Amino acid sequence: MLVLTRRAGESVMIGDDVVITVLEARGDVIRLGIQAPRDVQVHREEVYKELQAANREAASPTDDAVRALTRMLNKEE
Amino acid sequence: MSTRTAYRPIEDTMTDSALDLPVLDLAVPMPGFPAHRQFVLVRLNDDGLLYAFTSIEDRSLRFLVAPPEPFFPDYAPEIENDVLAALNTKDPDRLLVMVVITAGVNETTANLLAPIIVDRDSQRAIQVVLTGSGMPVRAVMNRSY
Repeated sequence: MLVLTRRAGESVMIGDDVVITVLEARGDVIRLGIQAPRDVQVHREEVYKELQAANREAASPTDDAVRALTRMLNKEE
Repeated sequence: MSTRTAYRPIEDTMTDSALDLPVLDLAVPMPGFPAHRQFVLVRLNDDGLLYAFTSIEDRSLRFLVAPPEPFFPDYAPEIENDVLAALNTKDPDRLLVMVVITAGVNETTANLLAPIIVDRDSQRAIQVVLTGSGMPVRAVMNRSY
């Protein structure tokens, strides 16, 4: 891992178009500002990982599960 | 600035036959599936309560998605302007909100934190994270619709 020391107001560039700026450091809380192109999504890591896990769990349900759910929806009409 | 998704009568989304057909380009891949960028919505239920968001690159990859209104009537996610920009949205009324469903053995849940937003005009889609909304990733689907 690359380790850099930055002060509040200083930035780091990642590639050509992602800029991460340290806005404020107070105790063990650091506030960051992130500028990135539209096709780069920025998430807190724990949120991204939760979403990744949820998507993997949701992906490609079995035919039985799909049939059961379709049946349930049709029945409720 | 953000745009609140207007309540849209469910028949409106259901009778839109175009919904089934066009290939939708993901503005950003779904977390966990970086290689899949093009999907189609395949209708699984006659009344349009359930669709399969299916990868055209790999037909075996599909997500069950549903319009949230019948199941979560109070759910009206706010769509930020950067999402509208990523979708090339000109008319926010043409957006569809779909929630990703996990069909489990014992319970079926819907991901209310990260819905898929589809622009029917630009035919682009994105899974957005409603940061700060406190919405659950696994909301049990209400059977009383």
